[in-house]
Amino acid sequence: METLHDGTETPHEEAFELPRVITGTHGPEEGAGAGTPWPDDVPPEQDDSWYPLKDDPRKARRMEYLIAALWMVTGGCGVGLMICYWTGGQAQVEGALLASAFGCLGAGLVLWARYLLPGQDVVGSRGEHYSELEERAAVVASLSRGTDAMMSRRGFLVKKVLVPVGGIFGIAAVWPLASLGPRYGRALYHTAWYPGARLVDQFGRPIKASDVEVDGVLTVFPEGHADPNTPQNAMSPAVLLNIGGALMHERKINQGFEVKSGGNGLVCFSKICTHAGCAVTLFNVLSMQLVCPCHQSTFDILEDCRPVFGPAPRPLPQLHLGVRPDGYLFAVSDFVEPVGPGFWDRGGPA
Amino acid sequence: MSTVAERSAARKRALLEEKVLDELDDRLGSSKWLRSALDKVFPDHWSFMVGEIAMYSFVILIVTGVYLALFYSPSSAVVVYHGPYRPLDGQKMTQAFESVVNLSFSVRAGLVMRQAHHWAANIFLAAVAFHMGRVFFTGAFRKPRELNWTIGLTLLIVAMLEGFSGYSLPDDLLSGSGLRVVFSIIQSIPFVGVWLAFTLWGGAFPGTSVFFTRLFVIHEFLFPLILLGLLGAHLGMLWHQKHTDFPGPGKTEHNIVGSRLWPQYAVKSAALLTFIAAVIFGLGGFVQINPIWVYGPYNPARGSAGTQPDWYVGWLDGALRLWPHWEFRSFGHEIANPFFPGILLPGIVFTAMYAWPAIDRRLFADYGEHNLLDRPRDKPLRTAVGVAALFFFADLTVASATDLIGNALNVSFELLIEILQYGSFVAPIVAGVVAYKVCVLLQVQNAHPIQRPVGGVMVRDARGAFHTLGAEHAHAAPEGNGHEAAADSEETALEAAGGEPAPG
Amino acid sequence: MTSHSTSRPRILAGPAALVAVALALFSVLVWALPAPAQPKSQLKTSQSGASQSGVSKVAAGTVARGAKTLGTVKVSTDPAVITAGQQLYNLHCESCHGPGGVGAKAPQLLDVGPAAVDFMLTTGRMPLNSVTQQPLPGTPYFNKTEIAEIVAYINFVDVSHGTPGVGIPTVPPSCTKESATCPTLSEGNELFLMNCSQCHDASGAGGMLSHGYVVPSLRQATKRQIAEAIRVGPRPMPGFGPGQLTNQEVAAIADYVYYLTHSGNRGGFGIANFGPVPEGFVAIIFGLGLLLLVARVIGNRG
Repeated sequence: METLHDGTETPHEEAFELPRVITGTHGPEEGAGAGTPWPDDVPPEQDDSWYPLKDDPRKARRMEYLIAALWMVTGGCGVGLMICYWTGGQAQVEGALLASAFGCLGAGLVLWARYLLPGQDVVGSRGEHYSELEERAAVVASLSRGTDAMMSRRGFLVKKVLVPVGGIFGIAAVWPLASLGPRYGRALYHTAWYPGARLVDQFGRPIKASDVEVDGVLTVFPEGHADPNTPQNAMSPAVLLNIGGALMHERKINQGFEVKSGGNGLVCFSKICTHAGCAVTLFNVLSMQLVCPCHQSTFDILEDCRPVFGPAPRPLPQLHLGVRPDGYLFAVSDFVEPVGPGFWDRGGPA
Repeated sequence: MSTVAERSAARKRALLEEKVLDELDDRLGSSKWLRSALDKVFPDHWSFMVGEIAMYSFVILIVTGVYLALFYSPSSAVVVYHGPYRPLDGQKMTQAFESVVNLSFSVRAGLVMRQAHHWAANIFLAAVAFHMGRVFFTGAFRKPRELNWTIGLTLLIVAMLEGFSGYSLPDDLLSGSGLRVVFSIIQSIPFVGVWLAFTLWGGAFPGTSVFFTRLFVIHEFLFPLILLGLLGAHLGMLWHQKHTDFPGPGKTEHNIVGSRLWPQYAVKSAALLTFIAAVIFGLGGFVQINPIWVYGPYNPARGSAGTQPDWYVGWLDGALRLWPHWEFRSFGHEIANPFFPGILLPGIVFTAMYAWPAIDRRLFADYGEHNLLDRPRDKPLRTAVGVAALFFFADLTVASATDLIGNALNVSFELLIEILQYGSFVAPIVAGVVAYKVCVLLQVQNAHPIQRPVGGVMVRDARGAFHTLGAEHAHAAPEGNGHEAAADSEETALEAAGGEPAPG
Repeated sequence: MTSHSTSRPRILAGPAALVAVALALFSVLVWALPAPAQPKSQLKTSQSGASQSGVSKVAAGTVARGAKTLGTVKVSTDPAVITAGQQLYNLHCESCHGPGGVGAKAPQLLDVGPAAVDFMLTTGRMPLNSVTQQPLPGTPYFNKTEIAEIVAYINFVDVSHGTPGVGIPTVPPSCTKESATCPTLSEGNELFLMNCSQCHDASGAGGMLSHGYVVPSLRQATKRQIAEAIRVGPRPMPGFGPGQLTNQEVAAIADYVYYLTHSGNRGGFGIANFGPVPEGFVAIIFGLGLLLLVARVIGNRG
C-alpha cells in the first residue's frame, strides 16, 4: 500500500464556500484535498525503469526477437499488398494481407507494452476540474461590469431594436431554404395514370387481358411511363392480378373496377404500400393476399386489398380497368384516391 | 545493461528532443501542457477501451471513406452500365449506383475498402452502444460528467444518421427502399411533413437530380464535421475531468491509478488501433457486406425479401412493423401511421436518455460529484431500468427480422409479430424485475473481492489484532462513494426507493 | 501492491492466445473463401457450345432479347414405362391424390402436366407425410428413372383426360460462370428483380409469406426446376404463363438465378445472403466481440 500514495498529507482545506452542493469529494482524504497535493497530474516519484522482464534478460531477448518477427510479418504483408495491387487486386487476398499486417503490428505493440515497458501502475492526483471561488467571482464581476456598461441607459437598443431586428434578419436568412424544394401542391394526389392509358409491363409492352393466367400476377405501368425512377412515375406502379372466375363472386368488398375477360376477373391495385411506400409484391396465391416485404402489411385481394395484417392503415387504391376491343387493358382513370403512405392533408380535396 | 553506445545514443536523442521542444516552446509555450499531458495517468481497465474502439473505428471510417469519396459520383443522371459485372450489362441506372458498382469491380482495392468502410460503420455503432451501456450501468454519467453524457448521446444520434445516409448513397434496391420508408416517415409529420420531405428531396420521391448531391454533402461533410466536433468536445472534457475508475484498493475520489500516457498507454492504445484495423479489414476482405450488385439499381416498383436497415436502425424498423395499423383522421387531416413509431418513439426514447442524468440525480437524491464508479449491483433500480431498456431495444430489433426468423424457424411472421408486440411491454418489465432481484442477491452475497476494503474501518482490539469492520461502520467512513450500504440489502432497497442517506 | 500487480512477469498466455485466435480466424476465413471471382481471369469460352453457336456477338449497349429459348423434354409414352409409373403412383401417391389422380385429400392431378410432377418430385417436395404440410424442397425420394416413370404415367392420365398441362421445359446450358457470351443474364436480372426477388430475396435466399408459408431458397434449384416453377406455380407461388413471361424470358431468369447462386460471393463469405440482419449480427458478435477480447488482453482486468 505504501507505494500507492506518498503520504503527502496536506492539511484539509476547509471553508470551500461554493454556491453549490459538493458532497463527498472534500472529506479529509488520504493525500488529496482541495489544495494542491501534487502538481497537477505528475505522479510521485516511482520506479519507472522497472518492467516485467527486467530481471530475466534471456526472456526479454526472446521477447525482442518475437516482436521483431511479428513486425517483419507486417513488412512482408506490405510487400504482398504491393504485389497484389500491381497484379490486379483481389479482395480476399487484400483483406488477408491487411488483417495480418495490422494484426502482427498490434501483437508486437502489445507484447512490447506489457513486457518491455514500465508495468507498474502509477497514482496521480485528479487535481480539480473546477475553478477557485475567487476566479468565479472575478468572472461574474467582469461579465456584469461589461454588461452594465452596455446596458445602462442604452438597454433599449438591445431590447427594443437589436432583438426584433435580429429576429427579422434571422427569418430572412432562412428564406433561401425555400429554394431547396418545390411547393408540393397536389403532387401526392396524382400519379402518371391517365384516362385511356394502356397497361404495359416493365419493358413497355402493352398487355392484353388474355396475357395473365388465372392466379397470375404482373407489375404494370401506364403506357409511356414504364421507367418509374422519376417523381411523376414513382407512384404509378401497379399490380395486375387475374383472380379467376370462381373467386370473382366471393369478393366481400367490390368497387366494380375489375375487368371480366373469358370468364376470368382482372383487378389492378397500386403497388405502393399505404404504410411506408414500399413495393407490395409478395403474392400468396393460397390465401389471395398481397404482402409488403418491408413491414409485412398484408392485403386481402378478395376484399379489394383491405389490410388484414400489419401496420398498413388503408386498402391499396384500386385502378379502374377497362378492356379495348383489340384486347389491350387500359385505365379508365387515375386512382381515385392518393396513392401510398398518409400525410397531413391527405383527406383534403384531390 | 545499457551499453556505452546506447547511453550515448540516448544522450543524443535527449539533446534533439530538447532542441525541438525548445523551439516549440519558444513559440507556443507548450512545455507546461506537454509535461502534464505526457505524465497523464489513464486507468486502463479493459472496459474503458470500448470508447477507444469506437473512436478508432471512426478513424478507419474517415480513412476508407476518403478513398471511397474519390470514386463515388453523387449524381442521379441515368447512364447505361458496361462493365465486368455481366448481369447488369446494358441496364439503365443512376450514375451513383454505377460508380459504386465500378468501385466494387473495377477499382483496385475498391471492394475491400468499401466493405471495410461498411463493417467499420457497423462496429463503430456497436462500440458506441456498448460504451454507452458501460457508462450507464456504472453511473459514469453522474456529476460532473452529465454534459459529456449529453454530448455522447448526440454523437450516437448523429452517428446513426450518418450511418443511414451512407447506407443510402449507393442507390441500390435496399438504399432506395430505406429512403422510401424515411420519406414516408418524414411525410407523416403533422403540418410540415410533406413540405419537409419535398424540401430535403427537392421534390416528390425519389427526388430530383439534386438529391444525391445533398445526401453526399450530408454524409461526407455535414455529419462527419458534427461528429468530429462533438468527438473533440467529448475527448476534451474527458481530458479535463479525467477518467472515472472502479473503486478498489488505494483508489479514492481524488486520485487516479493507471498507466502513464507516455509511453505505456500510448503504445497500448496504438496496439488497439492496429487490432481494430486488422479486424475491420479482415472482415472487409473475407465477409461480404451489402452486395449492391445483387440488389440491382433502385426501382420503386421492385422489392426484395429481407429488406432491412443496418442493425443500429433495426429497432426503428422493428417499431414500424410492431406498431398497429392505427392512424388518426379528423377534419380532413390525418396523423399518418409511420409518425408514431418513426418520429414519436425515437423522440421519446432520446428525450428520456438526455434526461437520464437529471432523473438519476432525483431518483437517488445524489447531487454529489463522483469519480469512482458504481457497480451495477449497487444501484439495482438504475440497473433494472437499463436492462429493461436493453430488452425493449432487443425486442424491436428482433422484430425487424421477423421474415428471416420465420424462414429459419418455420414460424409465421404473424405469430412472431404478435409475440413481439406483447414482448415489447412484457420483456422489459420481466427483465427489469429479474435484474433488480439479481442485483439485490449479489449485494447480499457481496462476493466481489474489490468490495471489502472500501468503506470499511480498520480497528485494533485490546490484544493488538486488526479487524476490518464492514457495513455497520460504513457511514463512519470518510469517503462517500455509494458502496457502503452494499452489504445490507434492506438498506439498499430503501436507498433505491429514493431514500438514500446522505453519504459522508 | 494492488491486486492486479504486474510485478510478476506474466506468461505469454494472453498475447499467445490472441495470436492463436487470429490464426484460427484466418484459417477459418481462408476455408470460407469462395473461388476468386476475377472478371478478367474468367473470360473463358462459353461452356454452352452448340446451343450458343447461333447467337451472334451482341453489340455493346444493347440487351439481346430472345437469344435463347426453352425446349421441351419428351415424355415417354412407352406402355411399360407408364405401367411402372402407375405402380409407383399406387404405392406412394394414391393414398392422397386418389386412384388415377382424381384427387382425394390432396388436389387432383388430371391437368397438372409433366412439369409440375417433375418439379415436385425432383425437388423432393413430394411425397408429403401430411396434406397439411407445406411442400418444401428436400432430398428427392425417387431416383431419376422412377421420376421419369411417374411423370410418364401422370402425362398419360392427363392426356387421356384431354388436359395435357405444361410440358417439362429445358433451358439451354450456359452462363454457369461469368462470360462475355451471356447476354441473357442482364435480361434475367431485370426480370428476376421485378417478378421474383420480392419473395425469394434479391440474393435468392428465400423469405416468408403470410400464413406461415416459407419461401424456399433458390440455391439448390437447377435451371430446369426454376423454369418449371415459373410455369407451374407451385402454390403459394403464382404461375407465370407465356403471356406474362415468354419462353425466352423464362430461360433468361433461369440463367440468371443459376448464375446468382453459383457464381460465388465476390465480397467473401456470404453469411447466408440474408442481408443486413446477419451482417449486424457478425459486426456485433464477431467484430465487436473480438475487439472486446483484444481490449481485455491489452487492458487491466481488475
